[in-house]
Amino acid sequence: MATTDETQTDLVTVTIDGKSIKVPKGTLVIEAARQVGVMIPHFCYHPKLDPDANCRMCLVEIEKMPRLQTSCSTPVAEGMVVKSGSSEQVETARKSVLDFILANHPLDCPVCDQGGRCDLQDFSHEYTATVSRFSELKRVFQKEYFSPLIETQMNRCVQCLRCVRYCDQVMDVKALAPVGRGTLTEIKAFGAHELDCEFCGGCVQICPVGAITSRMSMYEFRPWMLKRTDSICGYCGDGCQLTYQTKNNDLIEVSSTYGSGRNNGDLCARGYFGYQVSEHPDRLKTPMIREGESFRTVTWEEALEHVGQSLLAIKQKHGPDAIAGLITGRCTNEDLYVFQKFMRGIIGTNQLDSSVRSGHLAGIKALQRVQGTPRWTVAFEDILEADVLMLVGTNVTETNPITGLKVKEAVKRRGARLITIEALEPAIGTISNISNLASYHFSVRADRIHEAVLGFMKSVMETHGVDQEIRGGAAGFGNDIFSRLSGMPWSKLEQMTGYETSRFAEAAAVFCQGKKVVVLVGQGVLRSPGGYGTTMNLLDLLLLTGKMPRPGCGVAPLAELNNDQGAFEMGAVGEALPGGVPIDHAETRQALTRAWERSIPATPGASFPEILGRMKAGTIKALLMVGENPLGSLPPSSGVEQAMQKLEFLVCQEAFRTETAGIAHVLLPVATAAEKDGTFINTEGHLQTVRKAVEPAGESRPDWEVFSALSVMMDDPMEYLDVRDIGKEIRNLLPGTRVLGPAPMPPKPDSQTVQAYMAGEYQRDVAVRYRLPEGPEPASDELVLVLTQSLFHSGKFSLKANGLIKVESAGRLYVNPQEAGRRGLGEGDRVALHNSQGSVEVTIGFRERIPSGMGVFPEHFDGEICRLFPYTVDPETKSLVWKSTVVRVEPVPVLPGSRK
Amino acid sequence: MPVYEPILLKNMEQPGYTGSLKDYEQAGGYQALRKVLKEYAPEAVIEAVKKSGLRGRGGAGFPTGVKWGFIPKDHPGPKYLCCNADESEPGTFKDRQLMERDPHQMLEGMLITCYAIGAETAYIYIRGEFRLGAKILWRAIDEAKAAGYVGDNVLGSGRTINVYVHQGAGAYICGEETALLESLEGKRGLPRFKPPFPATHGLYQKPTVVNNVETMANIPHIINRGWEWFASIGSPPKSTGTRVFCLSGHVKRPGNYEVPMGIPFRELIYEFGGGMRSEKPLKAFIPGGASAPFLTPEHLDVKMDFEALALAGSMLGSGGVTVMEEGTSMVWAALRLMEFFYHESCGKCTPCREGSSWLVQILQRIWHKRGQSGDIELMEELCRNIAGRTVCAFGEAEVGPVLSTIKHWRHEYESLIQESAVSGRGGRELPVLAL
Repeated sequence: MATTDETQTDLVTVTIDGKSIKVPKGTLVIEAARQVGVMIPHFCYHPKLDPDANCRMCLVEIEKMPRLQTSCSTPVAEGMVVKSGSSEQVETARKSVLDFILANHPLDCPVCDQGGRCDLQDFSHEYTATVSRFSELKRVFQKEYFSPLIETQMNRCVQCLRCVRYCDQVMDVKALAPVGRGTLTEIKAFGAHELDCEFCGGCVQICPVGAITSRMSMYEFRPWMLKRTDSICGYCGDGCQLTYQTKNNDLIEVSSTYGSGRNNGDLCARGYFGYQVSEHPDRLKTPMIREGESFRTVTWEEALEHVGQSLLAIKQKHGPDAIAGLITGRCTNEDLYVFQKFMRGIIGTNQLDSSVRSGHLAGIKALQRVQGTPRWTVAFEDILEADVLMLVGTNVTETNPITGLKVKEAVKRRGARLITIEALEPAIGTISNISNLASYHFSVRADRIHEAVLGFMKSVMETHGVDQEIRGGAAGFGNDIFSRLSGMPWSKLEQMTGYETSRFAEAAAVFCQGKKVVVLVGQGVLRSPGGYGTTMNLLDLLLLTGKMPRPGCGVAPLAELNNDQGAFEMGAVGEALPGGVPIDHAETRQALTRAWERSIPATPGASFPEILGRMKAGTIKALLMVGENPLGSLPPSSGVEQAMQKLEFLVCQEAFRTETAGIAHVLLPVATAAEKDGTFINTEGHLQTVRKAVEPAGESRPDWEVFSALSVMMDDPMEYLDVRDIGKEIRNLLPGTRVLGPAPMPPKPDSQTVQAYMAGEYQRDVAVRYRLPEGPEPASDELVLVLTQSLFHSGKFSLKANGLIKVESAGRLYVNPQEAGRRGLGEGDRVALHNSQGSVEVTIGFRERIPSGMGVFPEHFDGEICRLFPYTVDPETKSLVWKSTVVRVEPVPVLPGSRK
Repeated sequence: MPVYEPILLKNMEQPGYTGSLKDYEQAGGYQALRKVLKEYAPEAVIEAVKKSGLRGRGGAGFPTGVKWGFIPKDHPGPKYLCCNADESEPGTFKDRQLMERDPHQMLEGMLITCYAIGAETAYIYIRGEFRLGAKILWRAIDEAKAAGYVGDNVLGSGRTINVYVHQGAGAYICGEETALLESLEGKRGLPRFKPPFPATHGLYQKPTVVNNVETMANIPHIINRGWEWFASIGSPPKSTGTRVFCLSGHVKRPGNYEVPMGIPFRELIYEFGGGMRSEKPLKAFIPGGASAPFLTPEHLDVKMDFEALALAGSMLGSGGVTVMEEGTSMVWAALRLMEFFYHESCGKCTPCREGSSWLVQILQRIWHKRGQSGDIELMEELCRNIAGRTVCAFGEAEVGPVLSTIKHWRHEYESLIQESAVSGRGGRELPVLAL
């Protein structure tokens, strides 16, 4: 729900089939009809798309108009009288349109995946005679290979162009085009190649017939055989509603309906084609205990007994702080809550951490510090209604595709101005590029985003000064930051960012005029050294311009994982208790002690880098690993391998045998998102219900069940009947974690916290945040190498998704073609990358959107390249940061006779 | 043979007239533009054109001045003029001659129009096949620019008017004004649904006037000789001025003839066209391009103006008059035209797309003696279901030939279907399943 009031609009009265209704001026007749319960049949109309009025199915009779009108393109007028079902003329017209459409339709319904949920079938059933008078030859298209995931069957096409318009108007991808004329028009990929696009599946979902279908489950089902389960996607933080469709406990397909969820029915490749993870043959199906070099399959009883006894023994011998735990933000709130309760209440340690540490925490901590709440103060609706949007360090389409769609809609259809600061060049490619839509784009190197933000702030302050209102109350704050920014020479900022003062000034002017301003902060900031500081500065920017406490304005860090936000709010980090409050918060400690009937350890928590340190030092002997895989994801420079090997006891709760699971002492198979009930909190802070679509693979169980069972084995039972039982406990403790309905109600910034911040709290680290770095620039022949997220993957988990692997199965070092040309490299060439950490061989790929001097590698395939990255620990968030490094590039000599 | 004063073809009929700027100026060219810039407020130009009664020469015959009047006066952004030179209606070839032989005449008309509606940019959307015409127009624009008629400061008036030629890519539908605009914007040439009309949401969604070449060519004369003069020609008040009729088919002297509106077809065909080419009498004629329904010898005395033709059940359309002699099969003629419409149907909306393919297949069957009883009635019903239900006027156009030939020559269809029955070939030949 938007945080600002909706403006009132004029209402007009229309009568449709005798039913009168008042609707806002400009409403289309077809929509007004829907509101009075008159369904007007249509193919080409879709509320998400501009009307095209091409199918002619929605013709209606409107009094005082000479001929039938298309209700999908006619706006209502005061006193309009419309006849749809009550008009004989309309009935004839509908019959004839169906007659025409069916003329060339193959009627292969028995083998069509759309059969049973096809608009053409339904309307034929409702409106047309059963005998076709068409006795000519039907036109037949040659079958062509379309793509690995999407199939076209053009004989079935009714040429409504919904797919083409969706691809252009909603996705901004423009991968599809109608080719040919008249009845010979067919939908093809743009250009003479197979479809190469974002694979959002939108064309499949929006096709009213079976002309575009998914290849993932072709011919495997009839729609009426499918069981539908509404749930939430388990990949990124956008938290999209999706419906799992299953048959006999098999996942058949995923869909999302218009109007449902925060995504409004739109999905991305991960959501639409990435569901097969749960059914991967490599799934762990039984508990296993290590015996020498191999594992022995055991029963759950044996495994739990073994783990419980071992943990008890270690606790008795070395104390509770010899045990630590790590959990992934992919888990449900219930899993996360029970995990931290287990660690704190049963084991008795605060040494626990989760994946939120590796990025999103930087944003959460900044929000919490300035505005007193760890959640966004805006919602997706505010993005749609914003007049100025600012994207910092995020290629939003690739990391949070659905948030990206909100930005696209705001800019393309609602006229918002967009300012982007990101290491991207505006260039057209197969994946949409948000910087193409920007009014002002600052294409700065990945490690110069902080400086670009400083330049932008300096420009805002110099041209527009401090906001009148805050000047009185927090003059010191404003003046301090103003003077720090003034002290930065423009010459240096221009040199570091590559943009002139005037360019900053133009963008700053647009920013200052904005009434509803939302700043989205992405992984390019949050997962970089100093990302916390950059986020803080952006919050300062909104405060200084007077936008911050206003509804409709806010800073919005984008969560990478589906439940990163939940991980923090459930207290699955060392320094925070459930509710995200500090570990020493007396009131919460009391409440928890009472509710849990257990004491909360008083020792300060530890973050994962600290846990790693204690593992190396040998003080931590046992580690509970829930869905995390440090061996497979951290750079070797972090010393993770040595640390892990020192462990006496490593338990992995995993769905797959990852690198870390490979060295575990006990493996416990657990359920994936499609296999369990619970809740997730998405990036906007909206709590949504996750439902079990299929039974867990083999003997795997939800994570919370494992902890609950372990507690029994450890003679300190923490029993729950089901997830609802846990949910009840959470809700009693944390009133903010109720399922609120379809849209979140974002919290308001806490004015006391804001005032305290501006009154002096900001001074704690202001000097660090407003400082230009002193350090060597990379030499001109060196490449800044950055790990980024791909649109087609999410962490390493999605590598098990068959559909996504078909689109992207290996990593390449993506560089600008011109950059490659300068270095004499071609696409597909092998190169060696060297730096002080080591050297690695990679294959070159081209992407025009990458600035020169930079190379991008998808982090999902970083197993080898990871070696080149030194790591740092962010002092504020204590997260391990290893996002970028500098390398030298050398071509690998091609051996004579070997193919390039 | 009566003699009428040529207006549009006057210059080019002079021996030695090349259509160059020099020739045009010598013939009094660009005086109208000078006069307008000096003496007329933009509204006064629109008023004069309204009073002249000039109606669009492209086909629909919408009053030109009224169309200009729809352009919002206080619109802050740019406005555009598009000259529709995508002449592709079968049997129509007047615009081509007007462009190639006297390009400055239409250019002057366009400049006056730009002044009247406040447009700074004008495009000439020319049919792709008219390569020569495009070249001539570019040259004319260059000449006019050098002489100060086109450019940043037209004749020192402070007005900017730039004119560009855009060549189409060979689609009949791009002669439809909104498809033309789509194509001009670089998109696939498909008609837009209306409203909104181009007058408010035209090229790049800006107020736009789309006018035919012949319409534009008339403008300088209305200014030079006054709207009263123009309004007195033809058959006032609804059909004023002359029309360039394109006479083709089985006549002795086919060609372009400029005559005042309102003379009877008999005069055009028998006086100007010299009558039928052989002994065979006239059987049928198309009065206004392929989209206009066929007429019969009974209609030879119908006056060639908008109203009279509408009363006769056809339309003046683009001015292409195609004459057919006795012995011509009307089924064949309808089939030939339907093949054209089937080929050119853009495919955007269902009735036109599917209807044209369905109709052409039925006609083919009948012509190849595989008709079946009920075909005629089916075609009539299909036509009823196409006309009035499509995005653009193409739907009405494509059913014209079919319905009018059935109306006047139903027996020809019936006898072909009868023959099919006799020869035992009725219906589509279906493959026989081997059991």
